[in-house]
Amino acid sequence: MMVIKESTGEKVFKVFNYSFLTSLGFLTFYPFFYVLILSLNDGFDSLKGGLYFWPRELTLQNYIKAFEDPLILNAFSISIFRTVVGTFLCVLLTALAGYALARKDLPGRGIITFFFFFTTIFSGGLIPFFILLRSLRLTSSIWIYVLPYLYQFFNIIIMRTYFQTIPNEIRESAVIDGCGELKMFFKIFFPLSLPMIATITLFYGVGHWNDWFVGAFFVADKNLKPAATILQKILSETNFEQATDTNRMNFNINRAKTTPEALRMAFLMITTLPILCVYPFLQKYFIKGIMIGSIKG
Amino acid sequence: MKTMRLKTKKSNSHNKKSIWKRMRKYKVLYLFLLPAIVFFFIFGYIPMYGVTLAFKEFRFDTGILMSPWVGLKYVEKFFSYFQFRLLIRNSFLISFLKLLFGFPAPIILAIMLNEVRAKKFKRVFQTVSYLPYFVSWVVVATIFTKFLSPHQGLFNELRMAMDKEPIFFLGIVKYFYIVIVTSDIWKNVGFNSIIYLAALSSISPMLYEAASIDGAGKWKKIIHITLPSILPTVGILFILSMSGLLRAGYEQIILFQQPPTIPVSEVLETYSVKVGLQQGQYSYATVVGLFQSIVSLILIVTTNKIAKKVSDTSLW
Repeated sequence: MMVIKESTGEKVFKVFNYSFLTSLGFLTFYPFFYVLILSLNDGFDSLKGGLYFWPRELTLQNYIKAFEDPLILNAFSISIFRTVVGTFLCVLLTALAGYALARKDLPGRGIITFFFFFTTIFSGGLIPFFILLRSLRLTSSIWIYVLPYLYQFFNIIIMRTYFQTIPNEIRESAVIDGCGELKMFFKIFFPLSLPMIATITLFYGVGHWNDWFVGAFFVADKNLKPAATILQKILSETNFEQATDTNRMNFNINRAKTTPEALRMAFLMITTLPILCVYPFLQKYFIKGIMIGSIKG
Repeated sequence: MKTMRLKTKKSNSHNKKSIWKRMRKYKVLYLFLLPAIVFFFIFGYIPMYGVTLAFKEFRFDTGILMSPWVGLKYVEKFFSYFQFRLLIRNSFLISFLKLLFGFPAPIILAIMLNEVRAKKFKRVFQTVSYLPYFVSWVVVATIFTKFLSPHQGLFNELRMAMDKEPIFFLGIVKYFYIVIVTSDIWKNVGFNSIIYLAALSSISPMLYEAASIDGAGKWKKIIHITLPSILPTVGILFILSMSGLLRAGYEQIILFQQPPTIPVSEVLETYSVKVGLQQGQYSYATVVGLFQSIVSLILIVTTNKIAKKVSDTSLW
């Protein structure tokens, strides 16, 4: 085995490379950490500034106050509903569609795929879409978060591509054993595709949890807005109370113990935490998903 | 092989008679597709019909279908809007700047990461670098606003420590594009590098070994081996991102927009949200959206054609 000695140039490169990546990693991670510190520190103490690496006056007060607001609790229940129900339906329906389109012998497969695909390259735009939602009475229903967002074309394609990698012999032997399509899907193909199911679950789930636009612009009812929309309102309005003026009184009392800014940081952490807890575990799957999705279908 | 051909011939001759029979064989699969077909018809194609609203006067009581036609009234209104050219310029400039800086960034990151031999370091870095991709723009905008704020923003605290005046970064026109491009890269660079890392990992290590024996240094290896190997991937992704040239990313811009920066930050998408959803000028906003959709369609069809000619890759 031949060992090639590192030249000085290579050593310089190595040092530069590691220090660059370390600083980039720091710049990515630190902002989240900074928000975490502020959310855990006493609001009035934070006003003095100089908080960089550790909370000075550790307290959970901000989190407790954030959860005391009934509007916020309601917003979280809406977020959880749409994320759980929406993601479940999205994943199931997307997988079914991908499964059917994976069959190369299916008559009309190309036409149906193009029928779906065309909507991604041309759309009616925001306003006709909004008018449609309103005429379907969706703008005053919780289903506005679920029904118009059931499918993403890209996810149908990655499911289809993955199903196609499953050897045909498995299907053939199952057919011989008298297995129907429904059983084939649920008993054989679905369990065999768990990595890809995990990937699209993550994509759909994060999309549902993070979406603030629908709640902000399509929905008028305050009690129908998800946490992401409330977060956006709280953060864009200078006064915390304005965003939650249904219980202004309540907040005036609360302010004695904390500041709007500290509450904001706590609220930001609460909405981010579920994602932080989930995505690292699905990392190896979505990397695979992206690689498969990039293959032209 | 022969029997295969015979079989297809046979089925071809029976094609017309048996098409229904064949389709019945797949009825469960069509049932699987039925919700998707209904979904794309309702939420994809009905709004496409809805673009006729651009040439109608919207009436609440009758809906789009029965609203009276007004011809090109709103199209003319849009084209003669005094800030029409500004909207186009901003949309184009912001998406162009994002492409110019945001496109090479993940390639460079992937190349650098590919040189890392310490496995643990690599894994931790990757996990951290994907993080911003999964949080919403609301969170990213908040974090940036917090850091750049003139009151207790970390950036301005540092400036004040150096005896400089605090600056309201988000309210100043000349900083707007820097903030937009930086936050876009910050959010997406890690995640976007995945695809290039995959391409890099498929390069044979033999090539590098051979180059080392020939006395090539790190830099030369990157130029002569790494870059040419990932060029096809780079090409495909570049062509794909070209079609988004007029899409500046409305979520991000709405969240970063402050009244003083509107002259440089107002793009077609944000304008359409404002006049349509906030002011209720439905027909007019539909024109804005339609204009954008048509330009996007032209861009994607053109780039696809070019891609087909230049390489074998194409979207359809």
